[in-house]
Amino acid sequence: MTVQAEQRPGTGLEAAPRPEDVSVETPFRRFVSDFLESRIATVALAVFAVIAFIALFAPWIAPTDPYDLAQVSVLDSHMPPGSTAFDGRVFVLGTDGAGRDLLSAIFYGLRISLGVGVMSGIIAMAIGSVVGLAAAYFGGRVDTVIMRIVDIQLSFPSILVALVLLAVLGKGVDKILIALITVQWAYYARTVRASALVERSKEYIDAATCLALGHRRILFRHLLPNCLPPLIVVVTVQTAHAIALEATLSFLGIGLPITEPSLGLLIANGFEYMLSMKYWISVYPGVALLITIVSINLVGDQLRDVLNPRLQK
Amino acid sequence: MQIHRFLIGCAIAGMMAAPAWGEDGTLTVGLKAEPSSIDPHYHNLGPNNSMAAHYFSRLVEQDDKLRLLPGLAESWQPISDTTWEFKLRQGVKFHDGSDFTADDVMFTFERAQDVPKSPSSFATYLKGKSFTKVDDYTLHITTERPYPLMPVDMAAVPIISADVGEGVTTGDFNSGKAAIGTGPYRFVEWVPGDRLVIERNEDYFDAMPEWERIVFKPIKSGPARVAALLAGDVDFIDNVPPVDIARLQGEEGVQLSQGVSSRVIYLHMDQFREDSPFVKANGGGEIKNPLLDVRVRKAISKAIDRDAIVDRVMEGVAIKAGQLLPEGFFGVTPNLSPEPYDPEGAKALLAEAGHPDGFELTIHGPNDRYINDARICEAVAQMLSRIGIRTAVETMPKAVYFRRASRGGADNSPEFSFILVGWGSGTGESSSPLRSLLHTYDKDRGFGASNRGRHSDAEIDTLIEDALATVDDTARLGLLQKATELAIGRNQGIIPTHYQVNTWAGRTGLSYTARADERTIAMGVTSDR
Repeated sequence: MTVQAEQRPGTGLEAAPRPEDVSVETPFRRFVSDFLESRIATVALAVFAVIAFIALFAPWIAPTDPYDLAQVSVLDSHMPPGSTAFDGRVFVLGTDGAGRDLLSAIFYGLRISLGVGVMSGIIAMAIGSVVGLAAAYFGGRVDTVIMRIVDIQLSFPSILVALVLLAVLGKGVDKILIALITVQWAYYARTVRASALVERSKEYIDAATCLALGHRRILFRHLLPNCLPPLIVVVTVQTAHAIALEATLSFLGIGLPITEPSLGLLIANGFEYMLSMKYWISVYPGVALLITIVSINLVGDQLRDVLNPRLQK
Repeated sequence: MQIHRFLIGCAIAGMMAAPAWGEDGTLTVGLKAEPSSIDPHYHNLGPNNSMAAHYFSRLVEQDDKLRLLPGLAESWQPISDTTWEFKLRQGVKFHDGSDFTADDVMFTFERAQDVPKSPSSFATYLKGKSFTKVDDYTLHITTERPYPLMPVDMAAVPIISADVGEGVTTGDFNSGKAAIGTGPYRFVEWVPGDRLVIERNEDYFDAMPEWERIVFKPIKSGPARVAALLAGDVDFIDNVPPVDIARLQGEEGVQLSQGVSSRVIYLHMDQFREDSPFVKANGGGEIKNPLLDVRVRKAISKAIDRDAIVDRVMEGVAIKAGQLLPEGFFGVTPNLSPEPYDPEGAKALLAEAGHPDGFELTIHGPNDRYINDARICEAVAQMLSRIGIRTAVETMPKAVYFRRASRGGADNSPEFSFILVGWGSGTGESSSPLRSLLHTYDKDRGFGASNRGRHSDAEIDTLIEDALATVDDTARLGLLQKATELAIGRNQGIIPTHYQVNTWAGRTGLSYTARADERTIAMGVTSDR
């Protein structure tokens, strides 16, 4: 969704100055032009696109492979930004305590953070929407049971649930994914249920029911598309949440293996050097994490404004 | 108005009372690790032994260099080849006022061998010895063969009271109910994760310590511990992270104490399984465990750049190692030196052993036990990857790590293939690491208790057992040196990397006698007032 919007800013802007041309005003173009009205959101979207590009293509654009232990040497450990290694490479942002080039480590770290955040967001959304739709559509006992489970899930702090899960499951990207999905699906379920309840009482659903269409078809072809706008907002916000949660878990040392640090682990590793003034090991990954989360949140805020029918002009 | 004045008065009084340490005789100490229990016989672990030394005494005590001093025993001597006589101190009282006699010692030695669920038992020091009470203040200890290390073993086991100790559980000690000893401090309370409080025992039989009350606070994170000292929350900390030492040296109001420890950090390799769980062929296939081949072990030793570990990981605060104990300790051999860094030689040896392209390996290590332990594992993995042994790193908290490393595999065998561990010689001489790390594993006789690689060599076993039965110091030294040379120089049974150097820090005016056993003993903290 966001990538499409990024690719086609021109058409949206062109459409805006010609409001009399009603035939051009498709919902999607209208959405794009509304979104681009906020300059901050546009910048945030551009920043996010750059981050996503870095994350996707990290192996090709990073100066070194920070996860290949044969390329990393403790002899290069905690060198300040701009230092030169003995083989002539320059560490633009310095190195961490194990001798990894921080710039490369941040690129790879972004890859893990975004990958984990987006993947867990998509899977949790899939699970959450199906469950939420089912609760709203079938109502009654199904609804009660599902929503009580959601309530119980939401009453535990997410960090606690994730900690317990990781303590049981062990380390690894797949385990982090499981933990993040477990703590997130309930938010999607609740959001989808709320909007599906509203949509369900509308005439087009009654019409579909009168046509004796199957449950599955009504749920996914009629109900789900109309519940999408709030869902998209929750996806962006929850992705940012998931990234922050992954960083927290890694900071606590229970997320990923130490030889493949994500941003959170890089920050944690640098933490022990803070008092000795080797600030760069923590600060630069911290800045990268901050920029990522803020840009996603700004995009999410604007999406919420654009997709909210009450705020629509 | 009245109230105002009162409040101002309180504030001024508060400011005057708050600052300098020891105003009210209390010393607050920030510890890296808290004990796993107050039960002195539950877990033979550094933090437990340090803390137990405050409220329990032993028959024999050790000074900072691990030399022996009289404790609850006033004197000891061999009365025949196989029997030692210990004369106990008279007039010593337990914290509950009861008298200390040989019965307490007899009771202690029986209990200490058999504490339920003990992760690491004190039986090592007591097995194979028979104890006889001659009278209330005389004890005879008999062994089958001559045993010169008897007094050192007696320095390891804290003595508890027979009256209190009958039928007590580890939980009774943790609650304080059974924590009754003869030590310089009496136990007040332990809130795990928060504080351990002790108060001076005014009836202590030996030199009275300076502090009336001591509060130990566990602060696991290094930077947080240093910050707590700088902020004045604690007066004294142990385990100053090497990276902060330079900064603290320049800090006004902070005083450092530093000393070499008897702890060697080493790598242990699976030498008993053809099919080792964490060794794989390139690409992940099965492979006959290459670590069984001494040439591969030698290659690993050559691949390790000990200078880089000392300079870059340990910030220069460590000494590179080639054997079991640093210079100056009994049993050190002049014929072994740290293996020089030689990656080309290592590759050649690997090729000779039939692994020119290396193999895949996982190194396991703790991440909260030794100084920079996880980072050393990572550095070792880097160095091995460079000679073609692609090494993954897995580190975990010590609570999980040691159980799995010792008996996490099938039939309670060691689970891992290649591990980073440390061994502090509590006796201050090399028979302790030799018998525990390099002697063939023999649970019943108390040998090879921590031999997690199951190194086994009959020739070395004989040398170690002979050394343990040799009373003559020169002859014993020769045997220990020979055993060390064969086990490390010839067999590469373990690969030593470095000896730890420990740093303590306190406010200016507080000095500490650095101990070779790494213990943080509040009696050793003295003020210059």
